[in-house]
Amino acid sequence: MLFCDEYLMPKTLDEAFAAMESHRGRYKLVAGATDIYPWAREGRAGDVEIPVLIDIAGIPELNDKKIDDKRTRFGAAMPIQRFLDDPQLARALPCMPRCAVWFADDQLRESATIGGNIVNASPAGDGIPPLVAHKAEVELASRSNGRISKRRLPLDLFITGPGRSEMAEGEILTAIECESLPGYGGSFEKVGHRRSLVISLVCLATLVKLDASGKRFEDVRLAIGGIGPVPLRLAEVEKFLLSGPLDEGRLEQAAEMPVHLVQSRTRQEYRREVVRGFVMRGLVNAVRRAGGHAVLTPELEASYA
Amino acid sequence: MPEMRIEATINGRKIARAAKPHQRLLDFLRDDLHLTGAKEGCGAGECGTCSVFIDGVLFKSCMVPVGKAQGKTIETVEALTRTGELSVLQKAFHKAGASQCGYCIPGMVMAATAAIRINPFADREEIKERLGGNICRCTGYQKIFDAVELARDVQNGKLPVTALAEDETADGKYIGANVRRLDAPSKVSGALKYAGDMVMPDMLHLQVLRSPHPHALIESIDTSEAEAMEGVEGVITWADVPGEDGFGVFVHDQPIMARGKVRYVGEAVAAVAAEDAVIARKALSKIKVVYKLLAALFDAEAAMQSGAPVIHDYAPDNVTKHIPIRKGDIARGFAESDLVVEETYSTQPIEHAYLEPEAGLAYVDPDGVVTVISPSQNITHHRHMLAKIIAKPINKVRFIMSPVGGGFGGKEDMIYQGMLALMAMKTRRPVRLVFTREESIISTAKRHPSKTVLRMGLTREGRIKAVSLKMICDGGAYGLSTEGVMRKAAILGAGPYNIPNLQVDTYGIYTNNTPSGAFRSFGALQTQFATESHLDICAEKLGLDPFEIRRINAMRDGAETHTKQQLKSVSYLRVLEAAEKASKWEQGAPVSRGDRRADLTPVGEGVRAACSLGARFEANGKLEAAE
Repeated sequence: MLFCDEYLMPKTLDEAFAAMESHRGRYKLVAGATDIYPWAREGRAGDVEIPVLIDIAGIPELNDKKIDDKRTRFGAAMPIQRFLDDPQLARALPCMPRCAVWFADDQLRESATIGGNIVNASPAGDGIPPLVAHKAEVELASRSNGRISKRRLPLDLFITGPGRSEMAEGEILTAIECESLPGYGGSFEKVGHRRSLVISLVCLATLVKLDASGKRFEDVRLAIGGIGPVPLRLAEVEKFLLSGPLDEGRLEQAAEMPVHLVQSRTRQEYRREVVRGFVMRGLVNAVRRAGGHAVLTPELEASYA
Repeated sequence: MPEMRIEATINGRKIARAAKPHQRLLDFLRDDLHLTGAKEGCGAGECGTCSVFIDGVLFKSCMVPVGKAQGKTIETVEALTRTGELSVLQKAFHKAGASQCGYCIPGMVMAATAAIRINPFADREEIKERLGGNICRCTGYQKIFDAVELARDVQNGKLPVTALAEDETADGKYIGANVRRLDAPSKVSGALKYAGDMVMPDMLHLQVLRSPHPHALIESIDTSEAEAMEGVEGVITWADVPGEDGFGVFVHDQPIMARGKVRYVGEAVAAVAAEDAVIARKALSKIKVVYKLLAALFDAEAAMQSGAPVIHDYAPDNVTKHIPIRKGDIARGFAESDLVVEETYSTQPIEHAYLEPEAGLAYVDPDGVVTVISPSQNITHHRHMLAKIIAKPINKVRFIMSPVGGGFGGKEDMIYQGMLALMAMKTRRPVRLVFTREESIISTAKRHPSKTVLRMGLTREGRIKAVSLKMICDGGAYGLSTEGVMRKAAILGAGPYNIPNLQVDTYGIYTNNTPSGAFRSFGALQTQFATESHLDICAEKLGLDPFEIRRINAMRDGAETHTKQQLKSVSYLRVLEAAEKASKWEQGAPVSRGDRRADLTPVGEGVRAACSLGARFEANGKLEAAE
C-alpha cells in the first residue's frame, strides 16, 4: 500500500520546484501514477510511506505539443493514448500509434505518460525504442536560486541501465523533442504473454522511407527493446539495408544480423528467434505502409504482415 | 491524518468532501461514497474491475490518486442505470448470458460502453481490443463479445429492440432454450453486493500478519505494541481459540492461525482489527514474532524419503493420503503385451485467479449467534467446523454465503472465516476482511502439482492389457481437499477404458509449499493428462490413429469401472465422434503431418492468425491515411 500525508498538484513549474525544495528528501514526483501503485505492493516494495507526492501531470508546459514537418515536441505528461488518437502526432511519429496500441490497455494509456515511461527506464519500456528511432532528446528542468534552467540529452544517452537514467536530484523531465518523419512507414512489433497489459519480451520499432523508385531504402531505422539492459538502435543493420536494393534475400540477411545482441537474463534462445522474425515482420510492415507493396512478394506479406 | 477536500461531480451530483491524500479514486468511491459497483480485483491496473469514466474517458480507478478527481465529472457503473432502467448494453449482457460470477461485469460493462461510444460501429476484433484491459475468468469472453455486438446492432438500428428481450420458450420447456439468468440484472448494474462491498455500522477492518518462513517454530509472539496503538481494537493469535482448533475438508489439520509452528510462506500468524485498514496494516508491523527456522521441504518426493523433516506430527511419513486400486494381475498383463511403454508426466501448481479476492464480514448478533458472511463454497461444513473451533453449539454459529465472485474450488477452504469469527467475538463489533490479490495468491489453495509415472502394456492391435499408474502430488503444508483429490485422481485417472489388469497409487504428500486443494476436475486432470498423452504416444508407436486406439479400448454401455461400478450407459464414443468431427481430424497415425491439414498453410481455415493488434487502424482508416 502507498501511504502519503500530502498530495500536491502544482499548476506551474515554479510551484512544482517550490514544493520540491520545501520537501527535499521527503517527496516523490508522480504523473500518471501507473508505475508507483503496482510498485508499492506486497512482493515488490510492500507498504511504502512517502510523506509528499507531487503530481506534475497538470502543469500546462508538460502537456504542450508543437509539431511541424521537421521537429515534434511534446510535454512529458502526454498520455500514451494521444500517440494513438491524435492525428497530428500520429502523422509526425508513424510508428508511435502502433506502439501505443500495444501499450498496457486503452484505460491505462489515458493515465500513463510518455515521460513516466522514459524516467522509469525499464529495459522493456515500450515507448522508448520508437523515440530512440526518432532521435529523440529529453529536456530536463531544474531550479536554482529561483531560476529555472534546462538541459538536453539524447534519449539513448539519458537511459543508462535498467531503472537508471541521467536524471539528477531536483530535476523534472519536462519535454521530449524528436524528428518528425511524416511519410515514413512505421511499425511496432511486440510479443508477450497476451495482447493487452503485457510487458514486452521483445519489442522492435521500425521506420522506413523508400526512394522514388520504391525499390531502395532512402532511410531506415530500427530500435529494439527487451533484449538487453537498454534499448538499442540497430545501426549496422540499418547501414546494411541502405547499402543495396530492397529484396527478400537482403531482408533475410538483415534479420540474421542482430540475433547475437540478445543478452537478456532469461529465454535467450526464444528471444533470438523472435528478433529474427521481428526484423522481417517490422521491415515488411513498414515497407508496406511506406507504399512499397511492389517489392514485396505476396508470400512474404502473407508470412510476415 | 491530514485530509484534502475533493470537489467533483459524481453520477450527476456535486460533492464536496474530505478525502485522505493516500486514497485512490477507487477507495474514495467505494469506502466514502459507497459506490461499490467498481470493484477491486487486483489493485495493480491489471483486471479492469474498477473502470470508471472521468470526464467521459474510461480509467482504471485503482490507478488514479483521488487528488486527480478534483473538479472532474465522474461516472461509475451506477450512472448507467440512473433512470431506473438498464442501458441497452446492460440488457444485451443480460440477454447474451454474458455474466456468470458477475465480479468483472460492472468493469466489463463500462469498458464495453466506452468501446461503442468511441466507435459505434466497432467490429468484433476492435471490441476485443478495446476490452483488452478487462479480465474475466468465467465466461471465456465469447458471450461478452456477443453481448457488445448485440448492443451495437440494436443501437445502430440493425436489430430491433425486441432482440434484447428474452427468447420465448416453446411449450414452457426450458431445456434447449436460451433462458436469461435471474441474477444478471443485479450483476450488470453493479448493484449486487459481494462480501467486500458490505458494511455494517461500527465495523472494524481486519488485516493479517503472515509467515515469511516456510517452516519454523514460533518461539514467541508479542502483540503488546500493536494493541496499544490508537484505533486498534483487537489482536488475535492461536491463543484466542477457545475450542478444538483445526479445519480442512477431510483432515482437520490446519489451525485458524499458526499454532506453535508455521508450515508455509503466507500462513496466518496473527490478525489485527482496527478502525480502518491503514491503522490495522500499520499495527501488523508492530507485532514481534520470534521464529526458529526448521529445515523445509519443497519437493514431494524428497518429503517421502525416510529421515525427511516431519511437517505434521500425526503424519511422520509426510503422507496426507495414499489411495491404491488393484484389479487383475498386472504382471501377467504386461507379460501378455506386445508393447510396453513407460513415461513420466508432470503438472504444475495453478492458481484459480477468480476475480473476487477472498473477503468476509463477521458479527455476533443480538442472540449471541456468531455470524460469518463470506463467498464460501462450503458453508455447512464450515459451520460445523467453526462451532467446534469456537466451542459453541451449532445453533450459535451461522454462515451466510455471499455472492461468489468466482470460486472454481478455491473457496472451499475455511482459510480466513475463523479469524473473522474470533475477532467479532473478541471485539463485540462487526469485522470485515478483504484480501489483496497478493494475499489471495500466497495463502490459498492451488491445483496439486503432480508427477505421474505411467506404464501401459498393449497388444499389437492396440488393446490395453495392463496399466500401472503412480502419481505423487505435492499437497503443500495442509490437507485441505487433498484426500478427495487423490481419490478422484485414482478412480478416474486411468480414463474411460477397459483395462483388465490395473494398479493405481496416488499419493498426496505434505511439503512446505502453499497448500494444494480443490480445483475444477478435482484430481482427474492430472492423471488423465498422463493417460491421454500416453495413448497418443502408444498410438504413434503402434501406427494407429489416436481416435482409433481410444475406440478400441473405450468403455461401452454396461462396462464396469476400475472400481467395479456397473455403468448402464456410457457416452464416451459419442464424445469421441463429436471431437473428431469438430477438430476436422485427418485420420491416420500421428507419425507425420498429413498434406490435407489446413494448419500447414500460412493462412487458411483452421489457422489462427498470428497475435497482433490494430483492428482500429483498419476500421477507421483515419490513422492509416495519416501515415
